[in-house]
Amino acid sequence: MASGSMKEIKLRIKSVESTMQITKAMELVASSKLRKARERVEKARPYFLELHDTLSDIVAANTDFSSEYLVQRPVKKSGYVLIAGDRGLAGGYNNNMFKFFTEHSENKNVCVIPVGKKAVEFCKRRNIEIVTDRYAQVEDITTSDCSDIGGMMADLFKAGDIDEFFIGYTTFVSMLSQSPEMVQILPIVSIDTDVENKSASVIEYEPGAEALFDMIVPMYVSGMTYGAITESWASELAARRTAMDAASKNAKEIVANLSLEYNRARQAAITQEITEIVGGAGEG
Amino acid sequence: MPAFNLKIVTPHGVHYEGEAEAITVRSVTGDVSVWPNHVNLVTALGVGKASVTVNGVRRTAACASGVLSVLKNDVTVLANTFEWKEDIDLERARENLARYKEELKNAKDKKEISMAKIRIQRELTREAVKTEKE
Repeated sequence: MASGSMKEIKLRIKSVESTMQITKAMELVASSKLRKARERVEKARPYFLELHDTLSDIVAANTDFSSEYLVQRPVKKSGYVLIAGDRGLAGGYNNNMFKFFTEHSENKNVCVIPVGKKAVEFCKRRNIEIVTDRYAQVEDITTSDCSDIGGMMADLFKAGDIDEFFIGYTTFVSMLSQSPEMVQILPIVSIDTDVENKSASVIEYEPGAEALFDMIVPMYVSGMTYGAITESWASELAARRTAMDAASKNAKEIVANLSLEYNRARQAAITQEITEIVGGAGEG
Repeated sequence: MPAFNLKIVTPHGVHYEGEAEAITVRSVTGDVSVWPNHVNLVTALGVGKASVTVNGVRRTAACASGVLSVLKNDVTVLANTFEWKEDIDLERARENLARYKEELKNAKDKKEISMAKIRIQRELTREAVKTEKE
């Protein structure tokens, strides 16, 4: 045990400590952003519930119109909105989503609208057809971006280019658990047409039930997209927070072990020195 | 005073929930006013001024795109944006307006043009609502 190894240990402690500083900072940033993200999810929730209810009401109250948004076609091509993060270091957040997507889209002719930088990179690496890579920034996506995405989906579906649409996102179960999900968004199958009809009486539609439905559906799709993105963003931050918390804890443990080792090395060096001196004195 | 239940919701939160005596919004076909006991109605909203009367006081707001539904005296406004007059940031609206006008000039295809036009309309509405005299 020479002073060489002591120096080495000292260096390692320093490097681990500086890594710990980074992971701690990232954890704090994720926590503070998470608070805002969860607020956004909470604020957006009543809108989706109402939107869903209104659409259900229209579908339920009306039996004499058909919309192509409600018709299930034979599937030649499937569209996905794939929502992932902009950055890594969030535990399994991105990978879980991609794995889930790969399983779900197996043996399908696939086309993707990626949201988030990691999603764009993933699609490019796998040579998956991309509709647009404009949404490579999940953090600052706005409602108007989402209505663009929604309009794009509705257009592609209506034109017959894509026969079904899914949104792949990560639900925020709790601070410690987030799970990837896939929801079908077009054609609309999730709407419960058996809901008890609130109004057996007539409803006026301006302008016309079908025209109105065609206007509301893109809104519904955009709304669902926005909801999925806000939820995923909160999940990403929670995942990052947990991952960074674990990393900081590990770093702390390593530092503790290294300090112990360092102290032992120092003690050994001192003991050796004393032995040498005592040995030298005995001889003299 | 007869009243109805009004709920105004956007992705940014609930902007009003409670009783109201009247509401006027801009639909895709023109202004629509709803009073208590209005016939059941569902319509798509355009971009324009909205006004709500609560306890005899009229409040104005800028409202853009969405759905208005009237079902048995329950009135719901689902909008992309809805801002009460006092919440509008005039400076920001004007800044955005200039930016969108620039976008319109540089727009390449039909879609970009119509997007820019809608955005311009939205900012103009904000400006009009904010600067309107009581």
